[in-house]
Amino acid sequence: MRHAPAVAARAVLVLATVSLAFAACAPRVTRVAPEQAIDLSGRWNDVDSRMVAEAMIKQSFEAAGPQNWAMRYARQHAGDLPTVIIGTVRNRTMEHVPVNTFVNDLQRAYINSGLVQVVASKGERDEVRDERLDQQEFASAASRAKLHDETGANYMLQGEIQSIEDSERGKTVVYYQVDLTLTDLQTNAKVWVGQHEIKKFIDRPRFGL
Amino acid sequence: MDRRIGLVSLLAVAAACAPRVGPLAKVMDNGEVLHPRSEHVVEQARAAGDEQRGQLAEESAENTAAALATCAPDVCAAISRGELALGMSESQVLAATRTTTEAWSTRRSGRATLMTALPGEQSPADAVSPIAFVDLQDGRVAAYTYREAQGLRTVTRPQEATLAGAAAARADALLRQGDQYAAAGRLDLALAQYDRADILRPDDPQTTLRIATTLDKSLRPVEAALRYRLFIHQMELEKINAEGDAAAKIAGAIASAHERIITLEKR
Repeated sequence: MRHAPAVAARAVLVLATVSLAFAACAPRVTRVAPEQAIDLSGRWNDVDSRMVAEAMIKQSFEAAGPQNWAMRYARQHAGDLPTVIIGTVRNRTMEHVPVNTFVNDLQRAYINSGLVQVVASKGERDEVRDERLDQQEFASAASRAKLHDETGANYMLQGEIQSIEDSERGKTVVYYQVDLTLTDLQTNAKVWVGQHEIKKFIDRPRFGL
Repeated sequence: MDRRIGLVSLLAVAAACAPRVGPLAKVMDNGEVLHPRSEHVVEQARAAGDEQRGQLAEESAENTAAALATCAPDVCAAISRGELALGMSESQVLAATRTTTEAWSTRRSGRATLMTALPGEQSPADAVSPIAFVDLQDGRVAAYTYREAQGLRTVTRPQEATLAGAAAARADALLRQGDQYAAAGRLDLALAQYDRADILRPDDPQTTLRIATTLDKSLRPVEAALRYRLFIHQMELEKINAEGDAAAKIAGAIASAHERIITLEKR
């Protein structure tokens, strides 16, 4: 009976330690602004995608004078907008790079600029065509979309992302180059080429927890 | 003591072998908040584009109104269809092609004006084809040239602008290309061009003879004999209409085709 307080104290201590251990293992989530650059592994991440989108949008629209291909087209065609279709942006790196993040940012900028018309790409239009065909049977004559009345694109956006990696003793240098090209669908002439480069130095300690 | 010296020396050697990198020029800190400017750039481009397109729309509307106010009925109909026509004025050319003066390089010399489509861009086009040049005499279109897959095609007479006229001109261009391939020894490509010309202008004995000869040279005797027979049939029809020297030439051509048929059938 004399040892009862000591046993109770020990039990409390063990309980506290166990609780602390559980708390330490629980996931901690902090919401952060999407604009905050957080690099953990050094691999391609949202920051790289944002930087590419930002650079490509600037390269597309900053020269909003005679050098700008969209303005030039509008001037030559009495104010008509050029129509762009999004083609394939190939990932030629060894990493998984979701290219649609920055391609969609650029597409959004095209549409919001009011200078370019974007039509559904090869992958998107099949669903739209299915719906249009469906309407021919089930929608009222006044509301159904017409067949064979799509807008043909003047230009196609294509591109690729490549990387070069160099490593030595836990240190790695990764270089990414993203190239986007707008090609005239009739003549194959390239009317705009955008390029952005990213270089990262990754230092991984050899020993660590 | 010796061991320590050895260890230090080893470390020094290892450090010396590692690649040396100068100080790194950092462009971003981990955790830094980015401040994208692209929205601003897009907004600026939008404002500039809206202003410019407004001006262009106004200019184009004025131009179209001026073009339609003074046009003859057939020219007005051509403008509405978006087609070039002989006798159009410069502003009517712009209205028909839905372009502005910026799409053209215009040179004037006396009574003649030559509008050349600017290269390297989506070239000005009417409803028929992309246009290469428009030649105006005394302010009216005297000739215009299309840039087509078969080459340049010039329209100088109203009948050349019809569907049949355009098909005949394209067929001629395809025959010329076919002849060039045949001269270069590419009989397969020559035959493809002749076949296309035959679709555009059927029942043309000259096309049929070229196809027959090319098949003959390509060692396809059965098809060649069929084509020679068709050629003879077409030429017989021509012979009924021909007179004098022309009839003699036709007779010669028929005789040589018969000769080839006999030779091919003997094989």
